[in-house]
Amino acid sequence: MANSNLPRRIIKETQRLLSEPAPGISASPSEENMRYFNVMILGPSQSPYEGGVFKLELFLPEEYPMAAPKVRFLTKIYHPNIDKLGRICLDILKDKWSPALQIRTVLLSIQALLSAPNPDDPLSENIAKHWKTNETEAVETAKEWTRLYASGA
Amino acid sequence: MGNKVKDEQVSTVRSIVGLEYSTMDIIRALHMANDDVTAAINILFDSTPSSKTKDKPATRNASSSRNPNSKETVSRAVDSISSNGTPNPGSGVRSVDNSTEPTRGLSSSPIGSEWWLVGCGEVSGLSTCKGRRLKPGDEVGFNFPLKSAPAAPSPGKFGGRGRQVAACSEIVRFSTKDCGEIGRIPNEWARCLLPLVRDNKVRIEGCCKSAPIVLSIMDSIVLSVSVYINSSMFRKNHQTSLKAVTNSTDETVVHPLPTLFHLLALTPYKKAEFTPADLYTRKRPLNSKDSSDGHTALLHVNKFKNQSANGNEVENEESISDADLENIVGVVDSSELEEMESPSTLQCELRSYQKQALYWMIHLEKGHCTDEAATTLHPCWEAYRLADKRGLVVYLNAFSGDATMEFPSTLQMARGGILADAMGLGKTIMTIALLLAHSERGGSLESPSTSGTFIENSNTNGISDQSPTFPSKETKFSGFDDLVKQKNSLIGGGNLIICPMTLLGQWKAEIETHAQPGSLSVYIHYGQSRPKDAKILAQNDVVLTTYGVLASEFSTENAEDNGGLYSVRWFRLVLDEAHTIKSSKSQSSMAAAAITADRRWCLTGTPIQNNLEDIYSLLRFLKVEPWGNWAWFFLIVVQKRVFCRWNKLVQKPFEEGDERGLKLVQSILRPIMPILVLPPADVKVVYCELTEAEKDFYEALFKRSKVKFDQFVEQGRVLHNYASILELLLRLRQCCDHPFLVMSRGDTQEFSDLNKLAKRFLKGGRDLVEGEAKDVPSRAYIQEVVEELRKGEEGECPICLEAFEDAVLTPCAHRLCRECLLASWRTATSGLCPVCRKTISRQDLVTVPTENRFQIDIEKNWVESTKVAALLRELENVRSSGSKSIVFSQWTAFLDLLQIPLSRTVISIILRSNIPFVRLDGTLNLQQREKVIKQFSEESNILVLLMSLKAGGVGINLTAASNAFVLDPWWNPAVEEQAVMRIHRIGQTKEVMIKRFIVKGTVEERMEAVQARKQRMISGALTDQEVRTARIEELKMLFT
Repeated sequence: MANSNLPRRIIKETQRLLSEPAPGISASPSEENMRYFNVMILGPSQSPYEGGVFKLELFLPEEYPMAAPKVRFLTKIYHPNIDKLGRICLDILKDKWSPALQIRTVLLSIQALLSAPNPDDPLSENIAKHWKTNETEAVETAKEWTRLYASGA
Repeated sequence: MGNKVKDEQVSTVRSIVGLEYSTMDIIRALHMANDDVTAAINILFDSTPSSKTKDKPATRNASSSRNPNSKETVSRAVDSISSNGTPNPGSGVRSVDNSTEPTRGLSSSPIGSEWWLVGCGEVSGLSTCKGRRLKPGDEVGFNFPLKSAPAAPSPGKFGGRGRQVAACSEIVRFSTKDCGEIGRIPNEWARCLLPLVRDNKVRIEGCCKSAPIVLSIMDSIVLSVSVYINSSMFRKNHQTSLKAVTNSTDETVVHPLPTLFHLLALTPYKKAEFTPADLYTRKRPLNSKDSSDGHTALLHVNKFKNQSANGNEVENEESISDADLENIVGVVDSSELEEMESPSTLQCELRSYQKQALYWMIHLEKGHCTDEAATTLHPCWEAYRLADKRGLVVYLNAFSGDATMEFPSTLQMARGGILADAMGLGKTIMTIALLLAHSERGGSLESPSTSGTFIENSNTNGISDQSPTFPSKETKFSGFDDLVKQKNSLIGGGNLIICPMTLLGQWKAEIETHAQPGSLSVYIHYGQSRPKDAKILAQNDVVLTTYGVLASEFSTENAEDNGGLYSVRWFRLVLDEAHTIKSSKSQSSMAAAAITADRRWCLTGTPIQNNLEDIYSLLRFLKVEPWGNWAWFFLIVVQKRVFCRWNKLVQKPFEEGDERGLKLVQSILRPIMPILVLPPADVKVVYCELTEAEKDFYEALFKRSKVKFDQFVEQGRVLHNYASILELLLRLRQCCDHPFLVMSRGDTQEFSDLNKLAKRFLKGGRDLVEGEAKDVPSRAYIQEVVEELRKGEEGECPICLEAFEDAVLTPCAHRLCRECLLASWRTATSGLCPVCRKTISRQDLVTVPTENRFQIDIEKNWVESTKVAALLRELENVRSSGSKSIVFSQWTAFLDLLQIPLSRTVISIILRSNIPFVRLDGTLNLQQREKVIKQFSEESNILVLLMSLKAGGVGINLTAASNAFVLDPWWNPAVEEQAVMRIHRIGQTKEVMIKRFIVKGTVEERMEAVQARKQRMISGALTDQEVRTARIEELKMLFT
């Protein structure tokens, strides 16, 4: 299987993620494919997503760490930088990727993105518009969605 | 005119006129002659064979113009022969007579003493005339056509027929004084006689033995002929010109002299053991010589001796002694070989085989015939007894057609030989014994005649026959000739021993320990301050010097002709580790050959390291090339201290494409090759398995290397990128020893000083323009990084998350593994810093300084590699016995690594205390080396000598050790063996164990296969082309 020649870096990262997880983040590799991670990010406090548990999937491509991991929200989320398919607009996952970054740093960045949505660089035009025109309303919708879809149950 | 011409008639005509005439010509002539064979022959002889001449149309015209009145022409032609019965009959052929006067002399000019009767025989010639009479007993003369017929239109009245001479250029006719031309001799006779008679080497006399009373065309006339050979051709250097001159490119070339001998029904009383015909059919049984042959030869030599004692030729005297030498070498069974008691001044006991060797060496030098001597002819030569009353003997070379009067012996000129004992058998001791047994001063020889002829011979025979493949030789040997001329002005010296620098001390020590004090004075001619005065050199019994000194004095010798090694005529010249001069074009090789010495010896365990040329240089040094391109030499093959045999080896420095020469060399080399693959006492290969981690590392490295190699293969530039490929392989091989080695890079040590590094970074900040200044890391950060480095803090690479391997510092002071950083860049030359995204270029990177040559702290991070662990196990096993070991590696860096576990005391499951060791590598000078060797040999607590393979390769005697561990395989197994055999040699009292370490499934294992190939290559004596393709194949093998 693909697991048999897993690069030492991935093994090391995985071990560290499991042994000393970042607060509010859990990532565990799939048993079938060690490059596939089931991720859970707790909605950061003082954000519309507080109290929510967001599921993501993270996949380390063959070129990793020379190429960025592929990350997607599985849980529906109302966020200007995340589209309805769960795709994330984050520079370090695209052109600003650096091999010095890790899974942990990527997930922390996503966590930070939840705290600080950036409607100026939107992925989801409608949500971004909503955010810009009526932020309070948009935040309310986000909270609503969190309650509806990310309440852990 | 009948159109039917019978084949029979054509063939009849052809048998007379020979093959020069095309069938069409013959048929045409028969037409013209109305199917009268005789007339047709005459027509043909008067015309030119159309197939040969340029002016074919002209001939056509001529014959067609004749056509209408053919009968008239024919009758005239026949007439001219039958009526012109003068001594100079009217055939074009005879116009040549003037130029071949000696052969026409017949009875009128008495055969001079320089003409030796070869033999008598019968020739059945064919009559070419009709109606003439020939009585038995009538003398006949032979007419030989000119060699370059077209250029020789005969003068005088027959000038117009010059062209016809060309036509019949291979036909030898005979005539009598009374009748003129009678007939012609068969082609096979003509073919071999022609070149010989033309060069005035052979003359022939004949008379009629039986013939029909009245001759008609095609009658057979039996002649009895006597063939004489000119003795001058044996004295002067005519041997080579005896070879067939015509169509010598032809594979089936026939050498005239042997053919003539054959036609004369001369049978060699001693046949060649080895003839061209044998090449394809059998291998020469090297070790089975017919003893009866020896007896015949013995008889011959004694006889020869008596004869020459009466004669006045000094050369004959020489040949006897050489016959004797040949004989001694020819002895095969060691039990037959005499032992010579060791000289009283030798302070050690020689072993039985060494005494035999001493006997052999002394005799090779002496050149004295002893009574018990039996002789064997060189296997390529045949001996013929001439019919001459003087009872002369001529030797013919079955391959080259060369002939000589002197007994064919390799040591015609060379007094000395190659002592090619396997390593460890005491070549040094044997040489010292030889020095003690017989030492004088050069030039003051015990037998004046030998020295005289030696010089003479080397001038006449040896030097003049240069093989064209070695053009550089020519010039150098003219220099040698000069030296020969000056020989009288040279100072007589003692023994000169040339050896590698590492052995100088050892030679001195060995001579001092083994020779009785005072019996030999030893002087080391070495160093900048060495005296130029030849007298000082000549004063000593033994002068030791190095190949380097020799070569440097050789290059200056030509300019100023005074002083140094070249102004001494040495009594004996010994080359130790003689394979040093294997490259015949090298300075040291030419320098060694140019030294003047009466006796020459080569000591080497490996006379052939890579190819046949290796031997060539030795042969040149020994002056062993008496005749033509042939050279002979002798090898002693000794196996496991049992004296086996002396093998004779014939080598022809085979010219390009000479199949026969190549085949000969191959067939002869094969049986003696075991000397190169002599299995030492107890050689074992320790196969190691890499651990998982090591395997990962190796595989990664291998994959990367293979990609690069495959690129070269794709581009077809494998041999162009040889160096880079070797570099790739080097890394892989080092990885097998210890992955740390791969991390040791020969990178710049410029910033090895941390302070310098810090300065550079801080200065870099000042140099930058204002706008970029903010990108420059803060002073505090740099100080932190430098401090970290100073403390040797580990840290990890942000990319691989491992401890740094070959870390580099970016200008922004970020530390990363070099490979990780470069891999993150899209281009090879520049990219972003993965940490801060600043654009940096490759040349801005600074190798992170470390205390040692490794990029990580090897002491602290010490990990035993598989191989190191295996070695430590082995060392631990032999430690209890107290026996000493030598550990060989090609890389001093690996020796560095090995020092770590050796100097440690490890307390684990088993307690292992440190193992005291010393180290010998190329960085040590002569004194330091001697000290290390002494320490290792004498101090009982020092158990291990770490030695670099190259440094220990030559000569050093390390018999204190009885174990050798070769940690990494070397390309050339001979080098490896050389090193290992330092312990497996005379003086070794313990059982010798040699272990080679090979890591399974890696490039090392495939190198073993390449080594095996190399052995095959040597034994198979491949051609250059084969070797070239083999090289690419080898490389491909390594990357599988």
